[in-house]
Amino acid sequence: MADSGAWNQVRHYARAVWAENIKEWKLELTYPADFARSLIDPVVYLLPYLLYGVALVGGRTSANLERLVGTSDIVSFVTLGYVFIGFMNMALWAMGFSLRKEQMYGTLESVFAAPVPRWVFTMGMSMHSILHQFLMIASQIIFITLLFSIRINPLGLLPSLAAVGVMLLSLYGIGMIMASTTLIFKQGWLISEALGSILMVLTPIAYPLAVLPLLMQKAALAVPTTYGILAARHFLLGEAMPFTVGDAFLRLAVLSVVWVVAGLVIFAVIDRWTRRSGTLSHY
Amino acid sequence: MGIDATAGVIRAEVSKTLRIYFAYPVIVVFWALFPMLWVVPFVFQGRALVGSASSAAFEQLTGSGNYLAFVLIGAMVSNFVFSGIWGVGNSLREETYWGTMEYIIVSPTNLLVVLVGKTLAEALVTTGIVVLQAVIISVLPFGISFTVAKVLPVLLLVGLLMVGFYGFTIAFAGFTLLIKEVHGWTHTLEWVFFLFSPIRYPVQVNPVTQLVSRLIPLTWALVAIRGIILLNRNEVSLGRTVLILLAMDAALLVGGWLVFRWLERKTRRDGTVAMH
Repeated sequence: MADSGAWNQVRHYARAVWAENIKEWKLELTYPADFARSLIDPVVYLLPYLLYGVALVGGRTSANLERLVGTSDIVSFVTLGYVFIGFMNMALWAMGFSLRKEQMYGTLESVFAAPVPRWVFTMGMSMHSILHQFLMIASQIIFITLLFSIRINPLGLLPSLAAVGVMLLSLYGIGMIMASTTLIFKQGWLISEALGSILMVLTPIAYPLAVLPLLMQKAALAVPTTYGILAARHFLLGEAMPFTVGDAFLRLAVLSVVWVVAGLVIFAVIDRWTRRSGTLSHY
Repeated sequence: MGIDATAGVIRAEVSKTLRIYFAYPVIVVFWALFPMLWVVPFVFQGRALVGSASSAAFEQLTGSGNYLAFVLIGAMVSNFVFSGIWGVGNSLREETYWGTMEYIIVSPTNLLVVLVGKTLAEALVTTGIVVLQAVIISVLPFGISFTVAKVLPVLLLVGLLMVGFYGFTIAFAGFTLLIKEVHGWTHTLEWVFFLFSPIRYPVQVNPVTQLVSRLIPLTWALVAIRGIILLNRNEVSLGRTVLILLAMDAALLVGGWLVFRWLERKTRRDGTVAMH
């Protein structure tokens, strides 16, 4: 009986997550021009980083990059880095601002009064964001492949997706923290922008860890995107990592537990505080 | 409305916008520091791909192999462009959020006069931020020095860039009256500028970006400014650049004004000007 009660609870939560995801898709597809723009934007965003690399070395291969990581193809290297860092932006912006968006729509109070925990609601939001991010990645990869042709190891696809999957768990925790900060600061874009900018520097997106100053290298090891991107590029391009694959997964798993627990605790504390102080519905 | 009254409205708008700006000092600090932080990944990327602070391929394209100085100057000058898009282009949308748009519309003031006030305030704040960045950069060992002989022609070019670009942002403000929620489009516009003007990379590396970039005043201004600061070029082509920028300014100011007037009239006629 207890088992069936827990199973019913899980199904109840899963339905709520799915409903939230569908609601977000319906809202998004109501504005088709905006949806189309959201698929073109990532390509426009990525190109300057590639062209900068080409301008620096006068072609698409770099002897110095090969010396550092074992691969010389800067187009594939930089593209994969920026493709996967998109998930971080998703956590900081899409998930982080999920509650603020509900507030703008005037539906935050209804959502908070629904008989499901708040983390279920943000999980529904993140499900939509992750699916949307995969569409953006597809548009980036198709375009860049047509323009430059990316050379990856197809056998590395599954393990790289596994690494990205564990990274997503950590990012869910970061997204929860960002969502809770919008409950306090309301216009929390400054925090997202600042944190995003710092993580963009620390994460080895378009460069290996070795070029960072020592202190920054140590800080980068506390960031889940470092392991996610390095492991994904390791499987797809053969990039040499300063740790083993097992270590990368282990550290990612530990960071996921830390960030998710931190995210849930911080969210619960801030949620309770805003309810008690009566500022939940303030703008 | 007479000249005195118009000047009074502009003064009041400048004062109001500056007060709102400085009510959130953390935002001013953010805009002074973070555009410089956004340059850092390019520095590390350069170090990883080239292995030194200078690139021979980059030198062939730009005349200077100092890619760090290239992106830093791009980041500083592009502040004027992005603050224009966000500060002026989005300003009427912000008034809608604040609930003050209706008051502006019913006041006996031309909306364009209000926008001129907002533009001046934005230009003042951005100039202050860029000067602060220039001071920091010139103190640090980036290979960039600012002498009076360099600063004067640079100021002329920045002035010409701002005039034309703010004409464009006034048209963009009209666009926000029409389609309301332009946040995503503003980002798109930002990335289009990053792709088609030499803010972060030399656009001549690709024939398409090189061709499109010629239509953007920022390209002409940046090439000339980098020539003066990095290459000590004695303004060989400054006269030509000034003429091109003047022509672009005239087209953008007149075009921006006409587009804004048309969009404002259209939204007023449709009854959608104060809608969200």
